[in-house]
Amino acid sequence: MVFSKNRIVQIAVVVLRFAMGGAFAYAGYVKLAEPWQLFAANIADYEVVPMWAAKFLAHTFPWFEVLLGALLITGRWFRTSTAATSLLLLVFVGLMVHAKVGGKNINCGCFGSDEPISWKTFVRDGSMLAVSLYLTAMAFRNRRKPA
Amino acid sequence: MKTFVLALAVMLPCLAAGPEGKSLGNPAAPMRMDLYGDFTCGHCKMLHEQLLPRIVADYVTPGKAYLVFHEFTLTGPGHEHSQAASLYAAAAARVGKYQQVCDALFLTQSSWALSGKVWEAVSPALTPAEQKKVQVLMKDPSVAAEVQRDLEQGMAARVNQTPTLVMTRKGKQTPWSYWNDYGLFKSTVDMLLSK
Repeated sequence: MVFSKNRIVQIAVVVLRFAMGGAFAYAGYVKLAEPWQLFAANIADYEVVPMWAAKFLAHTFPWFEVLLGALLITGRWFRTSTAATSLLLLVFVGLMVHAKVGGKNINCGCFGSDEPISWKTFVRDGSMLAVSLYLTAMAFRNRRKPA
Repeated sequence: MKTFVLALAVMLPCLAAGPEGKSLGNPAAPMRMDLYGDFTCGHCKMLHEQLLPRIVADYVTPGKAYLVFHEFTLTGPGHEHSQAASLYAAAAARVGKYQQVCDALFLTQSSWALSGKVWEAVSPALTPAEQKKVQVLMKDPSVAAEVQRDLEQGMAARVNQTPTLVMTRKGKQTPWSYWNDYGLFKSTVDMLLSK
């Protein structure tokens, strides 16, 4: 069986969409399964938003992650969801760099509340950002329909 | 610190002898709180002097939580004398003076953490007879083993910074290490206790 280059790209995009969607949905689920205060504390530890905003984000952001995960998996609003994912991951990586440069020994708050920022979190989130940027590029290239 | 001493005095009748004298409250309380700290850590000093009295008053005294102290001895620059302080505290626990020695160590942290004169900070909290016992116990391998066990227990509980308080309720562990907002901590504990 011979696959054309386009077909391979299409399959790759679907696989990556499911992987990214699953990761985002899981990240949201983990946060929703824990007391919301743990995520609020993680956000507050970065010292970039006031406590009221940290509390608001702790209540709302995990649902947004689940929604984003579902959109990526189903392929609905593909350009919007991939662009939002890329933007979010850029912000996440930027925040981690900011924390590390500032000498903060804090938890990442990515997948649950007890994972310190380390080279592992940078590699993982960096890889996710690369995948997300690729998906975004694919989404905007295939304007008419999702892969 | 006065509040803490007052809270301790109020709750004396319900104090239970915990592991090596390093616990407060009723072991049968619905929640267990394992506090991992280091005597050279600035945030641990703040927690000990400002927030611990509130935690004791809000949860330990009313019998809602059983509080157990652990030495999570830090290493590296700035923590050169952590091990000695942990050993003295663990030794003091065996003569029933753990809290008093903790108070003394945190009160004078900025001094001994630099000079290394840990004993000068510890000794005023002890009677002459206790001083002799603690000096002997400090060199006891079982005390060093206990301090090491505390560290390993903390690492097993995924403690990655100090101070961290691990709340255990119905077998589920919830670590907490954000101490800039006591209200947020309190609402977490209350939520866990309500489940």
